[in-house]
Amino acid sequence: MEVIITTFPWGVVLILVPLFGALSCFMWPNVARYLALSTAFALVMSVIALAVRLITTGSYRHEIGGWGAPLGIELFADGLSLLMLAATAVVGFAVTVYSIGYFPNRQLLRFLPIWFLLLAALNALFLSGDIFNLYVALELTGLAAVALTAMSGGRAALIAAMRYLFATLVGSMSYLLGVVLIYHSFGSLDFMILAERVEASPATWSALGLMSIGLALKTALFPLHFWLPPAHASAPAPVSAALSGLVVKASFYILLRLWLEVFPAGHSLIPGEFLGALGVCAIFWGGLQALRATRLKLLIAYSTVMQVGYFFLVFPLATVVAWHGVLFLLLSHALAKAAMFLAAGNIIYFAGHDRIVDFDRIAQQLPMTLAAFALAGVCIMGLPPGGGFIAKWLMVQASLESGQWWWAAALILGSLVAAAYVFKVVGHSFTQTTVREKTNVVPVLMEWTALALALASVLLGLVASWPLAWMEIGGVFAGVPAR
Amino acid sequence: MDTLNLAQWVFDSLTGTGLLWLAWMALASPQLIRAIVIFVAFGLLMALTWVRLDAVDIALAEVAIGAGLTGALLLAALAKLTAAQTEISKSDHRPRDGRAVRALRQLPAVLMFLVAAGLVYSVLSLPPVSSGLSVEVDANLGTSGVENPVTAVLLNFRGYDTLLEIFVLLLALLGVWSLGGLPPQRVAPAGPVLHTLAVVLTPVLILLAAYFLWAGVKGPGGAFQAGATLGAAGVLLQLAGWRPGPGFARVHWRLILVAGPALFILVALFTIVAGRHLLEYAPEHAGTLILLLESGATLSIGLTLAGLFFGERPDDGYDNDN
Repeated sequence: MEVIITTFPWGVVLILVPLFGALSCFMWPNVARYLALSTAFALVMSVIALAVRLITTGSYRHEIGGWGAPLGIELFADGLSLLMLAATAVVGFAVTVYSIGYFPNRQLLRFLPIWFLLLAALNALFLSGDIFNLYVALELTGLAAVALTAMSGGRAALIAAMRYLFATLVGSMSYLLGVVLIYHSFGSLDFMILAERVEASPATWSALGLMSIGLALKTALFPLHFWLPPAHASAPAPVSAALSGLVVKASFYILLRLWLEVFPAGHSLIPGEFLGALGVCAIFWGGLQALRATRLKLLIAYSTVMQVGYFFLVFPLATVVAWHGVLFLLLSHALAKAAMFLAAGNIIYFAGHDRIVDFDRIAQQLPMTLAAFALAGVCIMGLPPGGGFIAKWLMVQASLESGQWWWAAALILGSLVAAAYVFKVVGHSFTQTTVREKTNVVPVLMEWTALALALASVLLGLVASWPLAWMEIGGVFAGVPAR
Repeated sequence: MDTLNLAQWVFDSLTGTGLLWLAWMALASPQLIRAIVIFVAFGLLMALTWVRLDAVDIALAEVAIGAGLTGALLLAALAKLTAAQTEISKSDHRPRDGRAVRALRQLPAVLMFLVAAGLVYSVLSLPPVSSGLSVEVDANLGTSGVENPVTAVLLNFRGYDTLLEIFVLLLALLGVWSLGGLPPQRVAPAGPVLHTLAVVLTPVLILLAAYFLWAGVKGPGGAFQAGATLGAAGVLLQLAGWRPGPGFARVHWRLILVAGPALFILVALFTIVAGRHLLEYAPEHAGTLILLLESGATLSIGLTLAGLFFGERPDDGYDNDN
C-alpha cells in the first residue's frame, strides 16, 4: 500500500479526474450532483496522496508519453505545486458542495461541466513543467472562468464577462509571444532545460517583459486590474469564490516560477522595485475602493485587488522569508476570500440583494454566515491567529531584515484599511433597517461550507509550520538569498 | 539573383504587404460586413503565407477554421446583431469628447507602437535559423507510429497538449450554451441553388474529411483539418435549412460531442493503469491508437464547430427544472 502511494503519479490523477468529472456531468445530467461530489472528493483524496508521496520521497517529474524533455512534456510536482493544488482541492470541494445548494437545477447542470474543466485546467497548470503547456492550461483556465462569469446572465454580467474575455485573451497572447521568442532562442520549452540555457539577450528581455505584463494583466495587478471588480462582483457567488480564491493565483504562480527558476535576477528589464511600487498602489487603491463600495460583492472584489498588491511585494524583497510569506498569503487568501464570497452568496440568497446599508439584522438571522465573514475578515486583515497574520509577519520581517522598511509600512497601513472595510460590513449586519423584504431560507449546507472555509483560513495560522515545511520540498528557493 | 528567386521575392513581398494592408482595412472599416469580408480575405492570404513557409498543415487549418468557419460565425453573428444594431445607433447621442480625452485615446496606439518597435528589435537580434526540436522529432519519428512529423508532435510527442486543446473546443460550446443559447430561429426554405449545392457538396465534404484524417498519417492533414471540414458540412446543411430532428437530440448529440475527449481520457487511463507514463503508447500500437484518437476527435470537432454555428441549445431533456 505504502509503495503504491509513494510511487503512483498522483499528479496525473489530479488532471484526469476532473476532466472525467466534466464529461460525466455533461453526459449524465440526472446523476450529475452525485458525480460532482464524488469528483470533488476524489480530488481531495488525490491531493492527500500526492502530499504523502512528496513528503516521503521529495519532488518528482513525470515524463508524459515517456519521451522526456525537450521532445515531450514533463509534469513537475514539488512543494510549491503541492501548496497550490491543496488550495485548489479544498476550495474546489467547498465550492462544489456550495453550488449544489446555490444554483437551481438548470443552472447547476450548466455550471458543473465548466466548473470541473476549470479545476482540471488549474491542476494542469500547477503541475506543468513546460512553458507552452502552461499556455494551453492558462487558456483553458481563462475561457472556463469567462464562461462561468457570464453564467449569471443580465447586462452587467455579460459586459463584465466580455471585458474579462478581452483582458484574459490579451494576457495569454502576450505570454504566448514571449514563449515563441524563448523557444526560437533556446530551442526548448522545458523549465529545467531553459534554466540552464537562458542567457541575457534582447529577445530574453522582450520575452520576460511580454510574459510578465501578460501575467500581471491576468493577475489584475494595478493598473491592469480594471476587468476584475466588475467580473468578480457580477459572477454567481460560488464562481466569484473560485475566481478570487484560485484563478488570479494561477497566473501569479507562473510568474513566480518564471522569476524563481527560469530567469535568474538581472535578466529582467522590469526591476522588482517597480512591481513592488505597483503592488503598493494596488494595496491603497483597492483598499480605498473597497471602503467606498456600497455593494458587498464589489467590496470583496476590490479587496482582492488589494491582496494582489501584497503578492507583488515579494519581487523587491526577494528573500527566502519573503517568498515564504507570500506563498503563505496565497494559501490563506485562497481560503479566506472564497469564504467571504460564499458568505456574500448566502446573504444574497437570503435577502435577494447585497446593498451593505440595507442589511437587516444579518447577525441575528444568519449568525453562521456573519461568523464566517468575520473570521475570514480576521484572516484578510492579518490579525492573529489567522493565516494572513503569519504571512504578513513574515513579509514585515523580510522587509525589516533587508532594510527596506517602507514595504513594511505599506503592509501595516494596508491592514488598517482592510480592518476598516471589514468592520463596515460587520457593523451594518447588526443594525435594523426600515426596509422589510421577502427573504429566502438559506440551505444549512451553504452556511456550513462558508464557515468551514473561514475556520480553515484562521486555523491555518495555528498549523503554520506544516505548509512552511512543504514549501521547501524540491528546493525551489535554492537560488534565493536567505536575507 | 536568378529569376526563380526574384519571382519568389516579389511574391513574398506582395503577400507580406498585402497581409498588413488587409489587416489594417479590416480594423479600420466602419462597416462590420466589410470588415468581415476583408477578414476572410486576410485568412486566405495568411494561408498562402503558411504554404510559402512550408507549413501546409497550418495553411489547411487556417483556410478551414481561420477564414472559413470563423468567417461564417462572424457573418451569422452579424445577421443576428443587425436588428439590435439599428436600435443602438438611433439612440446614440453621445456628447463630443474634449480635446484632452481625444488625446488620451491615442495613448494605447503610442504604447503599441513602442511595443512593436521593441519586438522588431528583438526579432532582428534573433539567430536567423533555429532548428528548434526538429532534430529530436526526426530521430524519434520511427517509433511515433506515424510518418508526418506534425501529427507525431500533436498526437504523440506532445499529445497531452492536444488532450487539453480538445477540451478547449468542448468548453467553447459549453460556454455558448451556458449563456442560454439563442431562441429557436425560423428557417427560410433554401433556394434551389443552395439546396443543390448542399446535396452535392455534403457527401464530398464528408469524403474529404475522411481523406484528411487518413492523409494525416503520412502528410499534411489530421483531426483538426478533418473536423473543420466536417464542421463546414454541418454549416452548409444548416444554411440549406436542415435542422436536427427531435429524435436525434438527447443523448446522441452529447455522445458524439464527448467522443474525442472521452477516447483521449480512456487511452490516458489505460496507459497509466498499464504502468506506463501518461499517454505512452507501445511503438507497435502507436499508429492504431493515434488513428483511433484522431477519428474520435474529428467527429467531436466537426459537431462542436457546427454546434457553435447553430448557436441554439439542442433540446436534450436537460432543461427541465426537477
